[in-house]
Amino acid sequence: MIERYLEELAEELGSVGIRGAQRRRILAEAEDHLRESVDPARFGDPALVAARFADELATSAAGRGAWGSVVALAPAGITYAILFSMPATWPDITAARSVPVAVAAAMTMLLAPQISFAAGLLAIAGAWRLRSQVAAPAPAVTLLRRRAGVALAAGATALLSVMVVIYEFAAWLPTWRVALSFSIAGASLVPIAADALALRRTGALRPQAAGDAGDVFDDLEPVFDRLPLRLRGRPWRFCLLFAAAVAGVALLGGGVLNEGPRNAVAEFVAVCAGFAALGRYLGLR
Amino acid sequence: MVTGAVRAETLKGHLDFLLLAIVADEPAHGYRIIDELKRRSAGTFELPEGTVYPALHRLEQSGLLTSSWATGSGRRRRVYQLTARGRRALAGARRDWRGFAKAVEAVVT
Repeated sequence: MIERYLEELAEELGSVGIRGAQRRRILAEAEDHLRESVDPARFGDPALVAARFADELATSAAGRGAWGSVVALAPAGITYAILFSMPATWPDITAARSVPVAVAAAMTMLLAPQISFAAGLLAIAGAWRLRSQVAAPAPAVTLLRRRAGVALAAGATALLSVMVVIYEFAAWLPTWRVALSFSIAGASLVPIAADALALRRTGALRPQAAGDAGDVFDDLEPVFDRLPLRLRGRPWRFCLLFAAAVAGVALLGGGVLNEGPRNAVAEFVAVCAGFAALGRYLGLR
Repeated sequence: MVTGAVRAETLKGHLDFLLLAIVADEPAHGYRIIDELKRRSAGTFELPEGTVYPALHRLEQSGLLTSSWATGSGRRRRVYQLTARGRRALAGARRDWRGFAKAVEAVVT
């Protein structure tokens, strides 16, 4: 009877994505327990036990993944701060080895960190909302993993684009600067890759708990509830307000009479385009 | 009226706290922990036994418990024990619980 129960449990664990060493450990613990209690019925329905494992482990892993992605991205942020704070005289874009590649890399270098930052913030907001949940709804876990994944992917893309830009203009830059840029950008990729692998490993889990994924309005409910303007259920209004705020910062940062207006328009368009492209995927609308 | 279903739901909300409290006394394997949970609560806290293991694994992943294989009674058993972080979490949970219980007691009696 115990053997049959363990076979069923093994099958159910496999069906929720728990395999390998973790499954062997669970089965060994279950066998030890059942040899003591001699009553598989008290252990619970194998499907229920397997689902509970998947729900709890996936929720906990997704929360850790969200916080872990931000930690893994911190060196990339420091790399950007170092590289952009170093004084340099950049040649004209036509001096690049390949102008189209340089233009694409430069645009990516500016956009990817913003996507990474936004997805990272959303991942933290989601993890914070689910922090007290032992078994979050499966769609909420998926959304959290997705946000962390996008943050990591965009962060890695940003660093790679920096390396491409440096390579494109290497002939015009001091050798030490090229070497330093490649070294710190390359080193910053290591924690991102490690965290992405960890996220991928736990991605096999298939949680079963029913419920909604929620969205940014659920994540930041206390903030949205205090705003004088009703934004819940009106994602595009939220997008336009957020884009306007970012544009305002770009305007002031670039100087009203200098590059500010151009930067502000570019940021406004970029935020709206990002919202249209990734908003649903990241639980913004 | 507190029904069995309500009691099970309430227990789920406090399961982590209860498990940490049991393991705090001495390292124990899953069966022993579940047995202690039932014994100390005089049978009030009774869950499908298999659903306690996911909580133990999750608490270990969160760094509140640690576990290792040990051989006893001719069998290999996974023994759980509290980490330093788990001990701090338990102390905080005990403080919260005592404050909460005192407040409820003051209202209902």
